[in-house]
Amino acid sequence: MSHAKIKLIAIGLAAAFIGLSQLSESRKRFLKELLRQTPYLIPRYFV
Amino acid sequence: MTDYDVIVIGAGNGGVTAGALLAKQGRKVLVLEQSGRIGGCCSTFEKDGYRFDVGASIVEVIRPIEIAFEKLGTTFQKEVDLITCDPVMTIIDRDGSRITYPSSIDATAEAISAISAADGKRWYEFVALMAEFTEVALDAFFVQPAETLADMARMFKKDPRFFKFLPLFLKSYQDLIEKYFKDERILKTMGYQSLYFGHPPAHIPGIFALIPYTEHLGVYYPRGGMIKIPEAIRRCGEKLGMEVRLNTLVARIMVKKRRVEGVVLADGTEITAKIVVSNINARTLYLDLIGEEHLPALARAGIKSYRYSKAVPMIYVGLDYTPPLDSHHSLIAITPEGVNNYWWHNVEKGRLPQQNFGLICWPTHADASLAPQGRHVLNLIPEGFYHLEGTDWDTEKPRFIERTLADLDRFAVPGIRDHVTVVECSTPLDFERRLRLPEGSIYALQQDLSAAAVFRPNARSRGIKGLYLTGSSTHPGGGVPTTIASGIIASSLIAQYEQ
Repeated sequence: MSHAKIKLIAIGLAAAFIGLSQLSESRKRFLKELLRQTPYLIPRYFV
Repeated sequence: MTDYDVIVIGAGNGGVTAGALLAKQGRKVLVLEQSGRIGGCCSTFEKDGYRFDVGASIVEVIRPIEIAFEKLGTTFQKEVDLITCDPVMTIIDRDGSRITYPSSIDATAEAISAISAADGKRWYEFVALMAEFTEVALDAFFVQPAETLADMARMFKKDPRFFKFLPLFLKSYQDLIEKYFKDERILKTMGYQSLYFGHPPAHIPGIFALIPYTEHLGVYYPRGGMIKIPEAIRRCGEKLGMEVRLNTLVARIMVKKRRVEGVVLADGTEITAKIVVSNINARTLYLDLIGEEHLPALARAGIKSYRYSKAVPMIYVGLDYTPPLDSHHSLIAITPEGVNNYWWHNVEKGRLPQQNFGLICWPTHADASLAPQGRHVLNLIPEGFYHLEGTDWDTEKPRFIERTLADLDRFAVPGIRDHVTVVECSTPLDFERRLRLPEGSIYALQQDLSAAAVFRPNARSRGIKGLYLTGSSTHPGGGVPTTIASGIIASSLIAQYEQ
C-alpha cells in the first residue's frame, strides 16, 4: 500500500473518530441501535 | 371452483376493511374471527352496565379511515358518530401540578408559554415542521403500498419535499424534541408519545415525533365505544355480501407449490379460496399457520428476526363518582430520559416499576352513555411488559391493580380507590390468550426503522402466491388509522394482481 493511501485512511479514521466524539450521547445511542438492526435488513426485505 | 374468492383471517380493523373493500370489488368474501367479537384491540366489552374499550382509546389522523369509507360509497362521519375530544390531553406531574393542552395550536402555545416563553415560541417552529411532514406523508405514505425500494424511490420522486425530512430519520425522537423544547416540564409532555410506536425516544427516529403535533389535528371518540368503527366497516361489507363468522379458529393455511389454496379450521373443516388475507401477527402466520418449510430461505430468516412489539396491561374501572380529571386523556408525566431508563432498567430486565406512568382514558368525559347514569368509566394504561423476572402476570395481576390504583389515588385521581364499583384487567398474558397476540404484542412486531415500510412484512407476500397481509404486522404498522390503511392497500394490490 502506498504512503499516500495510508495517510488518507489515517485521516479518514481520525475524522470519523472526531465526528463520533462530537455526537451527543443520545445521538450515539440512536445510531448504535440503528446499526444493531442493520444485519436484518436484507432478510426482512424478502418477507 | 373454490368455496370463496377470498378468506380473511382475523376481524380486526385491517381484516374487516380489506374484506369490505374486496366485497365491493364483487368478490365472495369470508371473514373468520377466532374470538366472539370483532375489532381486535379496537373493540369494546360490557360488564355490569359499563362499557370498556379493550385497547385503542381514541382515533386521530382520520384521513385513511375517511378514504376507506369513501371507497365503500359512504362517509366516516355518516357511519360513525364522532365526538371531538378537546382538550387533547392533561399531563399530571407527581407534585400534583397539571398542564392541559387544548386542541387549538394557539391555545397550546399559550399553555406552553405560561411555563416557558421560549418553548412557546419554538412550539410554532415545531408545528410548522411537523405540519409539512404530515401533509407529505399522509398522501404519499400511509395509504400507498411500500412493496419495493422502487416504490420508495417513486414516493420521493412524487414529492421531493420528502428529501427535506431525511435528516430527521437520522436523529432520535429525543434529539428532535430536545431541540425544540428545553424546559423539563414541557419535555415531560412530549416524550411519552414515542411509546405509541412501541419504543423509547432514544431508539426511534425524530420523524416519529409527529404525534405531539397530530394530536392537535383532531382527536375523536366514537359514540358507543371504539368498536363502533370496525362495526361500521363490517356493516358496509355485509351489505356488499361479505360474510363474517365469529368463534372460528383457523389452524392452518393450505399451501401447494407456494400458492395458497384455502384454510383448515381448528375442527378440521377445509374451506378453499384462491386468495387468503391475513389479519394476524405475521410471525404466527408464517411460522405456525403456513410453516417455515414453505418459505424461501431469506424470508425464513427475515420473519424470525422480528421481535414482538411492546405489550401493555389495561385496567378497566367503573366508578360511582366523577373522577377529578380535566380531559379524555391524562398522562402521568415523565421525562424522555425517564422513558428511556424505564425501557433499559425495567422492560429489558423484567422488573415492574414501583412508580409507574402511562395514560388515563376517561371515555365517559365524551360519552356518558358508556356507564349507568351518574357513573363513569376509566380505562387505565399503565406501562408494563410481557416477560416478568421471577414471577408471572397471573400472580402479579391483583398486586398490580392495587398498586396502580393506590398510586393514582395519591396524586392523579384522588378518591379513586373509594369509588371503584367494577374493576377488570387485561394483562399482556390475557391479551395473548384472548386476542391471540403473541407475548401481548399490541403492534404485532417492533416498529423501528429496521421494521418499517419495505422492511416490514410485505402486504403482498413475497414467498407465497395469493397471500396478502393486513393489520399491524404490515405497512404502515400499528394503530387504528394505519391498520385500516393496510386494508385499503391489500385490497388495491389484490385488484391489481388477482384478476
